[in-house]
Amino acid sequence: MHHAISFSYRMRCYSHHSCEDCESEQQRYQRYSRIGTSSTFEEIVISKGPAVKRMNAKRKRPDTISDSVTEQERIVHEVIRSKQDMGISQQDMKREINLHSNLIAKCIKSLVSKNLIKEVKNIHSRRQKHYMSAEFEPSNEITGGAWYVEGSLDKEYINVLKEQCWRKIYGLKVATLEGIADAIKRSNVSQIELSKQQVEEIVKALVLDNEVMEVRSTGTGEFASIPVGKACYKCAGKRGYGGEPKLGALASIPCGVCPQISRCTPDGIISPITCEYYKKWLEF
Amino acid sequence: MVTQYGIKYAVNLITAHFGDLVAKVCECLLRKGPLTLQAIVRSTELTSSQVKNSLLVLIQHNCVQAFILDQTGEHGDGAKQSTQYIALFDNIIQRWRFPKFLTMVSKKLDKQCAELLEGLLQHGRLSLKQMFDRAKSGQNGGDDVVQEAFVKLLNAHFIERCPASEPVLTNPTKEEEAARKRAAKSGKILEVQETLEQRVVEAAMPTEALRFLFATETEPTADGGKDKSNSSSVTPGEKRKHDALESEAECGATDEQVVLWRANFDEFIWCLRHKACIENVRARFDDGAVIVFGAMLEATRSAEKKVKTENSVPLSLSSIYEEVIKSEEGRNITFDRVRASLVQLSCPPFVKAANESYSVDFKKIIELAQNEEVESIVLKRYGRDAYRMFRLLSNSGHLLETDKVADATFVEKKETPIILYKLWKDDYLQLEKLQIGVKQIPFQLWKVNKNTLKVHVLDEMFHAAFNLSQRVAFELEQEKELSNVLQDKRVNRLRKRLLLESSQMKLDDAIMLFHDF
Repeated sequence: MHHAISFSYRMRCYSHHSCEDCESEQQRYQRYSRIGTSSTFEEIVISKGPAVKRMNAKRKRPDTISDSVTEQERIVHEVIRSKQDMGISQQDMKREINLHSNLIAKCIKSLVSKNLIKEVKNIHSRRQKHYMSAEFEPSNEITGGAWYVEGSLDKEYINVLKEQCWRKIYGLKVATLEGIADAIKRSNVSQIELSKQQVEEIVKALVLDNEVMEVRSTGTGEFASIPVGKACYKCAGKRGYGGEPKLGALASIPCGVCPQISRCTPDGIISPITCEYYKKWLEF
Repeated sequence: MVTQYGIKYAVNLITAHFGDLVAKVCECLLRKGPLTLQAIVRSTELTSSQVKNSLLVLIQHNCVQAFILDQTGEHGDGAKQSTQYIALFDNIIQRWRFPKFLTMVSKKLDKQCAELLEGLLQHGRLSLKQMFDRAKSGQNGGDDVVQEAFVKLLNAHFIERCPASEPVLTNPTKEEEAARKRAAKSGKILEVQETLEQRVVEAAMPTEALRFLFATETEPTADGGKDKSNSSSVTPGEKRKHDALESEAECGATDEQVVLWRANFDEFIWCLRHKACIENVRARFDDGAVIVFGAMLEATRSAEKKVKTENSVPLSLSSIYEEVIKSEEGRNITFDRVRASLVQLSCPPFVKAANESYSVDFKKIIELAQNEEVESIVLKRYGRDAYRMFRLLSNSGHLLETDKVADATFVEKKETPIILYKLWKDDYLQLEKLQIGVKQIPFQLWKVNKNTLKVHVLDEMFHAAFNLSQRVAFELEQEKELSNVLQDKRVNRLRKRLLLESSQMKLDDAIMLFHDF
């Protein structure tokens, strides 16, 4: 059963960036994820990398480069292919190949048009163009892994998953990672099967948000069904999801949040008597 | 621990209560450590008479303690004894909390006790006779009423005998001297001085038996307490008792051998610590757990030896239950409910269970409260991403590389170092660089050092408390100038002052969390 949570429908592909390619991938994706075409109810669409990646199986590596490439193109292609799933930027290529940058650029353009290489996003240097031989899939190190799309962190997807995990933990009162993963799977929150590692990453992020706390089972009471010592998770505090943690004493006054506190002195330009933050705070 | 803004805050308090002259002497001692009278005169450029009078005021109000440092000569020369004076930072900052202490006594005891305590807080120290005289002049009841209130305060340990006027401190041992030199090299002078302050306070304090002893018929005399009404369990021959009684013979502001009494700040801090722990439990658990927790504190309080006790003595389930049902709110709680509450309280581990006994983990409760306070600052000042990063580094307790932090907190890899640098620049994080290979960019590793961070945050709190007091003083001046202005403007001014003063109270609770608990 689909949850009625609105979520913008977006397709993401790891290996293609042109619209034409996306469309064919889109059709394939729909077949795999059985997303309905009805517009009478909202569906969750959580299209994600892992399924798309599985669909895009590695193509067979060609044994020989096409005869239509020039010698310079062959050299450029060899350098790119040698970097396998890490790829290489145009700037780094210039350092490795003793060719003029204009010539390298021309070779790259030609190789792309011949589908021998492709441009990929590298999260470590988003402004630079990064290239990879066509037969490889970009590694997690340059794509960022399951949580990145086109070089950017997919915050919307992550936030939806976080809230859903929290709700499962809330419902279960005390939950292990396996329990949370099962609950997510059974409720079809994500059309893509999340690995245990992915669930763990999401749950640990909830711990960092102080929405959830990690505890060890004592084997008694609410932990009766959980082996002693096993890590499990409970909702933290009495507030609901997304509520702000309790405001501390220092944080509740202007000095606590002031970026200039280290420069503030009684007789200085920045002082408690002349402070603008104090003035606003005391305005009734 | 005494931080830079801690000193400013303390000096500000002394200035407000005793004026600039006394504050100057106090500041000199706070900044330079223990000094002789001559050294204070040289340093402050005041006259000897001014310095003496200031010291008398500060000693009267328990802000300074005199002591004699026994320096035996290196080559078997005769011992040198010089009287030095040390500022008691911990006592100075208690002065801001007097209203809290009075409220506590009003609630726990009665109005007469609060009035008697008020006199002791105003005057620093008083003899019983002085308390009687004060009550008569203020028409606050006869001697019987005062004595009854006095005994109640003493039994509750809210008041104590004053310490010895000039205890003798022996030379530091070779090990202590070596530690002091090492500390000086690493810039930890302030910590070493705190240890000296603690040593002086401990040396001056009467023994536990004498500290809350009230002689009902006569005051103790110079020959060491031959008063028959003493029900003390002091054993003759104990060195400390001997020193204390000799000191009793020497101390006192008058020529008569009278006992002086003062407020016992330790007991108030003890009570406030317990109160803070209960409030922490209330914020996380239901009413049943709060009642059970409160009962445990009540049952184990007498066994606690010091304010900063880390764990309470263990209690069995049945002992806890017996204590719970003593109180009105606990009367209807069942045995099973008590057991269930104890399980609740184990997560987070406010209560530890071992061998069917339960003990309160004060250290954990205080630590979690301190963490929450710091995390709140990080959240408000630097945002949610920074909050997650800080919590990751604080919980892990070791160095983490930038990308690892980015991955775990779901922050863009390019944004992560920017946020981490901001936290590092403001001393909330430590940074280490790891170079692997000559040509590679060094890895950046981040860490939270809780000990240094605690001192830093405490200094920020003292700074904020100092700022608040400056602003309150400013608003009061403004109020005086506007005394003839329209009513609504005056109401506005009053609301501002109330906001400032309630913020001061709340901030002082946080200062206690980091400094006193």
